Parts: sequence; structure tokens; C-alpha cells
Amino acid sequence: MAIVEAHGLTKAFDGFTAVSGLSLEVAEGEVFGFLGPNGAGKTTTIRMLAGIIAPTSGHAVVAGLRPDLEPENLHQHIGLLTENPGFYNRLSARFNLGFFAGFYSGFDIDHQVEKYLRMMGLWERREDKVGTFSKGMKQRLALVRALLHQPKVLFLDEPTAGLDPEAAHEVRDMIQELSVEGQTVFLSTHNLVEAELLCHRIGVVRTELLALDTPENLRRSLFRRQVVVELENPNPTLVSTIAGLPFVQKIEQAGNQFRLELTDPEVYRPELVKDIVEAGGRIMSVSEERHSLEDIYLSLVREEENSG
Amino acid sequence: MGNKRIINILKKEWHVQSRDLNSILFVTLLPLLIIGQALLIIWLVERFGGEAILANSVFQGAIENLRDALPAVSGLGIEGQLQVFLLSQMNVYLLIIPTMIAISFATFSIVDEKLSGSLEALLATPVRTWELLLSKALAGAIPALLVTWVCALVLILGVVGIGWGQTVNMIVTPSLFLSIFLLTPAVALLSFLLGVIGSSRAKDARSAQNIVLAIIFPVLAIIGLQVSGLIWLTPLLTLGLALGVAVLDVFILRIAVRLFQRESIVVKWH
Ligand SMILES: Nc1ncnc2c1ncn2[C@@H]1O[C@H](COP(=O)(O)OP(=O)(O)OP(=O)(O)O)[C@@H](O)[C@H]1O
Ligand SMILES: [Mg+2]
Repeated sequence: MAIVEAHGLTKAFDGFTAVSGLSLEVAEGEVFGFLGPNGAGKTTTIRMLAGIIAPTSGHAVVAGLRPDLEPENLHQHIGLLTENPGFYNRLSARFNLGFFAGFYSGFDIDHQVEKYLRMMGLWERREDKVGTFSKGMKQRLALVRALLHQPKVLFLDEPTAGLDPEAAHEVRDMIQELSVEGQTVFLSTHNLVEAELLCHRIGVVRTELLALDTPENLRRSLFRRQVVVELENPNPTLVSTIAGLPFVQKIEQAGNQFRLELTDPEVYRPELVKDIVEAGGRIMSVSEERHSLEDIYLSLVREEENSG
Repeated sequence: MGNKRIINILKKEWHVQSRDLNSILFVTLLPLLIIGQALLIIWLVERFGGEAILANSVFQGAIENLRDALPAVSGLGIEGQLQVFLLSQMNVYLLIIPTMIAISFATFSIVDEKLSGSLEALLATPVRTWELLLSKALAGAIPALLVTWVCALVLILGVVGIGWGQTVNMIVTPSLFLSIFLLTPAVALLSFLLGVIGSSRAKDARSAQNIVLAIIFPVLAIIGLQVSGLIWLTPLLTLGLALGVAVLDVFILRIAVRLFQRESIVVKWH
């Protein structure tokens, strides 16, 4: 069941289109990654989904409610980690949390505050002013704030941006823990490793949605896997024989190495080896090359640049 | 008011205010200075300028209004009537106090939260825009009103101290009570609401202050004209004014909600 739906969401600021015709669905319990470069419209999209700003056209349905029509009711059911943690620096961590929690109804504030502060390792610092906290601590505190009322959907806008590797690691662990508990998470990031690590599905965005799939499928659909064959005795006849094989779609030579694209590597790899040997080729090695998500991402974004 | 979200904001605002010694001093000292000055001017005018004023035609017109509204003053000598007239002007001072405080404090109410980023987190909670704006205005208007009431007390005690005790009971009239307990609160809320509008439209504290000054100044001018002694505030007039300003409060709150554009509030500030 989809708990987040976007139907043609579009946002223009004074004629400048930040997000255009975005449609997607996120299932309950899913961790959805929203991946895109700076200025791609990630924050704008999250703000529209979370009922902070209204779309110029299109609409969304989140937890069964329209963010543009009844934002306050929606807010009861969602948590938002904003791009910038935003606390009252002169007040204690506990006072801050109590204040933000005071807008919701139907849960035991003290109990929830203690549970999540302990979970984030901030319990000992609860009476300290937030102004004395490090960036990583503020980010964890903001995560606590977004979780207190047990939201059905958690929106995280670049949860690890600006954190050192250790702090980022802690936050990611936290998100994974939530994921295991079945929390629906909509996460924006420009960090590929993070998206791949945490997300069940990834939407690549740059004003428009460029692709949307599981990390694995994104790889498969965008790049056919390539087989790399190293020959001891490459010669033109051999090369043209290989290029003429019916299941070979593309061949690139670099010295002794041949990079081949096959219609279906699983089925034709043994066939390929046999045919090369029969044609008098002496094979030194056969391997497969996979592309990282980074290549996919860069190629998507560049493709967009070239066509636009 | 049983609104949990408004109370929540008020509690936080007052918690912050109570820890800010500078602003507490400012909010209490400034009005007392104004009142002290008012007393001084009244005393000086009465002491040294009495003759000239008594001969002035504007004053004579005002005294006629005064006699119509308050027949009892006819029993006093012309000096006594001058005292009562001057004292009746304290309404102006009392009315202006919350507005003065609003200029300096409402200015920061929204812009501070904008700059620190807490505003977006606040907007992600179930709080309604009108609740947010109203509670921001009340958070300033209520303490400002308390300060004003203290000032009213100081003013009356001061007048007794000057030795005008016998005229005080002429001044402590239903009009004064209506003014202090209805008109002043309505004007205080109005000033703070206007301040909150200015603050929510500004990009930083300095421009907020300019916007707030620009919109509060006309209010000050209107108050000044209304109460500058050319109009004697009868109980009915006071009540009417208070109701009028209260209606204006509701209207201004609606405008404030409309002007509160979330798009411009949640842009990146750094
Ligand atoms: N309130 C606003 N008014 C005008 N333009 C805006 C506003 N908010 C965003 N934009 C513009 O819309 C575009 C998308 O911005 P957005 O913040 O959504 O991108 P993002 O993907 O979150 O980027 P980043 O990775 O830098 O956070 C940018 O060009 C930005 O300047
Ligand atoms: Mg962003």
C-alpha cells in the first residue's frame, strides 16, 4: 500500500521551476531514497510532501491526507528532519523537545523523550543548552524531535550532510534500525553510497524524476553488464570472428583486453569462451565488470544536461 | 483560552523572556521612564506654564469639553480644572507604552526563528498559522500590558505624591478603567500583531525593525490624535474605541495569516 503518493507535483518560484511533474509512490515500511545534485529540488519536494509549502500544480497524498489541503492534520502523522536542525540554542535539549512535542496529542512525552534520547546517546546531556551541542549531536536531537510522536512517515532531508564520518555512520545506523522496525522513511541525499546502503528504492531527480528503481535494477537497466576477456594472441581475424558472434552486441578493444556486451551474459558467457577457443584464441582471463551506482548517477545527470 | 498549542508557545516564549535580563530591564525601565517624564511635564506645566495655558483658546475649548463630560469639575477653581485636564492626558502615555514595547520586541518574534531555522521545524508541527501568530503577539502583549498596569498605578501614586490627591478621584473614573482594562489591551494586541506581521515579512532583524516602525507609526499617530485632549474620552467613547480596536485586531490577525507566506519563510538563509 502506498503511503506517499505524488501526482505531477510541480513547484515554480517566480517563474523558475524547481520541481517539475514529479510522480512517485512510496510503500508503507519502505525506505525511499531521493537522490540528486545540489539544487535538484529535493528540499522543495520534501516541503511539498510534508505540507510546508503548496505545489504550483499537481498534488500529493501522504498517510491518506492531502498536504496542501489539510497540512495541520497531516503533521500529526509525519516527522520532518529539516535541512537545518533549528533549535532554540539557549534552551536545554529537554526543554526544546518538550516544546515541539507539546503540539501533538496522544502520547506520553516524557516517556518518548527518554526513550529516544537514550537511543541517540544524548540522555546524559539532556539538561544542557542545545547551543553547546556539536553539529552531529544537534542532528541526532533533530532526529529525536522528528520521531517523538511516532510518525507514520519520516521525512529526512539530507540527514548526514555536514557530519563527520563517525557521526554520519551513527545516523545511518539509526535509520537502519528504524527501517528494521518497519518505519517508512523518505530520505533525500546527494550521497550515493548512503542511498545504496539504506534505501529499498531510489529516485534520481534533477527538477524532474530521471529514474526510479531498486539500486540493483537501476544498475541492470541502465548498463548491460560487460564481460572482459583478456587474450594472449589477439589478431584481426580473431577479433572479427568474435564481433560476428550473434550474441555479441558490442566490442571494444584495449590492448589485449576486450570489453564485450552480450545479450544475456548469464547464458552466453560459456558459449563465448567455447567459440573463442574454437577460433584459435588463447584466453588468459574472463571477468565481469559491474558499474557502481555512481556511474549510473553521473551518466543520468549528464544525459539530462546534454539533452537539456 | 483552552488552546493547548497557543499555551505551549506562550510558555516557551515566557521561559525565554524570563531568562533574558536585558530585555526584562528594558521592558520595565523604559515605561517607568516615560511615566516619570509624564509626571515631570505635568508638574512643570502646572507650575510654570499655567497662566499661558489658561489664556489659550484651545485649552479653553478643551476645558469646556471637560465640563460637559464631567460636571463635577465646575466645582473646582480654574487651576484645579487644569490639573484634571493634564492628568486626563495620562491615557496617552499608558496607551503608548505597549506600542513602544512592541516596536522593540515584536520585531524579533518571527525573524529570529527564521534565522535559526526553528521556524521550519515549528511549521512541520500541527500548529495553525493563526495560532502561531496570535501566540507570538500575546507573548509580548500580555507582559507589556502588565507593565502598563504597573505604570498606571505608579502614575496615580505619583500624582498623589505631587500633592494633587484631591483631583485624583476626578480622574479615576469609569473611563479610566475602561481605557486601562479594555482599550489598552486591544491596542497592545494590535501593536504586537502589526509587529509580528513586520517580523514575518522581513529577512533580517534590521529590516524587520524598519517594517515594524513603518506600520506601527500610523497607529501611534492615530492614538495620539484620538486622545490628545481635544476629545474627552467618555465611558461610551472609550468602550466604542475599545470595541473598534478589538474588531480591528481580529481583522489584522486574518491579514497577518494571509501575509505569512511560507515560501518566503523557508528559503535558505545561509
Ligand atoms: N523559497 C524559494 N524561493 C525561490 N527559489 C527557491 C526557493 N526554494 C528553493 N528555490 C530554488 O529551487 C531550486 C531547488 O532547490 P532545493 O532547495 O529544493 O534543492 P535541493 O535539491 O534541496 O538542493 P541541496 O542539495 O542544495 O539542498 C534551487 O534552484 C533553489 O534556488
Ligand atoms: Mg536541499
